[in-house]
Order: sequence, then C-alpha cells, then structure tokens
Amino acid sequence: MADFRLKAEDAGQSAGLLDRAKTGDLDAFDQLMRANEKQVLGTALRLLGNLADAQDAAQEAFLRLYKSLNRLPDVQEIKPWLYRVTVNVCNDMHRARRRRRWEPLSGPEPVSSQPDPELAWAHQERGRLVEMALKTLPEKERAAVVLRDMQGLSTREVAGILGSSEVTVRSQISVARGKLKKFTDRYLRKRL
Amino acid sequence: MNCSDWAQDSAEFAEHLKVCEHCREFERNAAAMRELTVAPAAFAAVRQRVLSEIQARKRQAVWWTWSAVAAAACIAMIWVSYVLPSAPRPEALVAKKDPPKIEWPLAKPVVRRVHHKSSGRSLAQTAPVRKTEPLAVVKMLTDDPNVIIIWLVDQKGDSL
Repeated sequence: MADFRLKAEDAGQSAGLLDRAKTGDLDAFDQLMRANEKQVLGTALRLLGNLADAQDAAQEAFLRLYKSLNRLPDVQEIKPWLYRVTVNVCNDMHRARRRRRWEPLSGPEPVSSQPDPELAWAHQERGRLVEMALKTLPEKERAAVVLRDMQGLSTREVAGILGSSEVTVRSQISVARGKLKKFTDRYLRKRL
Repeated sequence: MNCSDWAQDSAEFAEHLKVCEHCREFERNAAAMRELTVAPAAFAAVRQRVLSEIQARKRQAVWWTWSAVAAAACIAMIWVSYVLPSAPRPEALVAKKDPPKIEWPLAKPVVRRVHHKSSGRSLAQTAPVRKTEPLAVVKMLTDDPNVIIIWLVDQKGDSL
C-alpha cells in the first residue's frame, strides 16, 4: 500500500526542497518533479493509455504544481494534491479526446521490466489487455481502479483524492473489476 | 473478482487470493500493468518540457513588466512635452496686463511777436516750451446730467 507519509529524514529534505522551490529555485523544483514523476506519469499513462497524452498530462500537472507551490503549506500535501490534479487533467483530456473522435498517434509504448523476453512479452500483452479494458470504463470507475489497484493506494486515500466516500469508492472498484473481468474474458474468448 | 470482501490489508488480501481465482487473475493483470515501465527518457522529456515552459513564462513576465514600464515612461514624456506646456499656467491666469500707456501730447511752442523800441522793429520770438507734466482728465458723470465732475490728475497721480 502506498503511504503518503514520509520518513522524518525525507520529509526534512523535501520540506527544504519545497521552501527553495517556493522562492523560484528551478533546481529544487526539478528535484521535486523527480521525486513525483513516476507517480504522475504512471497514473496518467494508466488513465489515458497513451504515452504521448500521458506526458502532456504530466506536464500540465507539474505546471499546476509550480503555480500552486505557495498554496501548499506542507510537503506531505504534495503527493495527494498531485494525484488529484493528475486525475482531473486526465479526465479533461479524456473528454476532449472523446469530442475529437480521433486518436492521436501513439509514442513509444511502455515496456515490461521482466528480464526474460517471453515473460516480458506476456506481461506486455496482459498490460495492453488491461489498458484496453480500462478505456471502456467510465472515468470515475477507471480512476478508482487505477489508483487502488495499479498505484496501490488505500481505499481511504483514493476516496480523499476523488472526493468521494470510502463506500462509494469500494463500490466503484467492485463494479469496475467486474467490467474488466468481463471485457478480458470476452476478448480472450474471441482470440482463442 | 466481483466479491464484496476485497481486503484492504495486504495480509488479508493475500489470504483472499488463495481462495478466489477471479481476484488472482485480476491481480496478475494489475501486476502486469504495474510492471510496465516507462523509459527514463520519457520522464526526462516531461521534466525538460516543464522547465522550458516555466522559463518561457518567466521571460514573458519580465518582458511584460518592462513593456509596461516603457509604455508608462513614453506616456509621461508625451505629457511633459506636449500636454503640460499647452495647459494655462495658474500665474498666467492671475497676472494682470499692464495698463495701456497714455500718450501725453507735448505742448506746442508759442510764437510771440516782440517789439523792440530801439530798432523799431518787431521780431517773432519763440517762447521757451515750459516743461510741464501733462495732465490727465478724469470725467466723472453723476446722476444729474447737468453735473459732471472733472478731475485733473498729473502723472504722479496727484490731483491738482
């Protein structure tokens, strides 16, 4: 499970970074980005299913972070705040993409970290299948399942990020998992 | 997969996976999705784009600030050069014009004929012009048309 709380040492360092970034120090802001880039780009990639769009969303989320640095009193606030902004940006992009009715050209796709090529290929295929299934979900269910199952946050944290109750999030996750299961079963049956 | 007792706690979750095939399958898919890694170049590209955008915005902000300062300076110069001189000065409004200079007519020389007894001839003699200060006449009309006050004043302002 992900824990937004930082160790005392990390918290001290990050607080120093945040203070420096607030004064306009771009090196400090760069380090803040490095500390949170996996979280932001990973979430955006799973929500949008496309690396180019995910990079755009991550860029927008970090720019919003830079603008709002002075409104973030504590370094502990950054992670949940970034999750919230990333989900919102991705939802906006998803809606805009639906209005456009065409898919942008995909950039380089993410690769599996498995050392064995066969396993890596299987992982990649599974990943693509989940990605396709995620695209069929409504945005709230998709965000809930991505944050809970892919990003590993607790139900309470997901509820805080999405601004819903824990009961609602549990229900959304349960429904979303059912839909994902149905989609993957149907897809595999067609392929076999 | 669609069960209601999805555990929050990882230990409970592990126990649950042992008995629920659907959740095992889902977890395998989710794990595969989690293991997909993005190339470090993709992260670096995002960071680079963000920093470039911030620097561009900073430059733009500086440009706008200097433009505003330059525009204000231009307006001030135009105001000082053109608008300020054409506006009437307060002292000009108050200052009175000098009163019109009065041209005093010079007295004409008087020519007299002087009879000399010794020679028995009479000669024309110009009397020396008396340098008298010209007088100003101030006529003051009254309610009665038959009464007019005439006031003779020399150049010094003294009445005679």
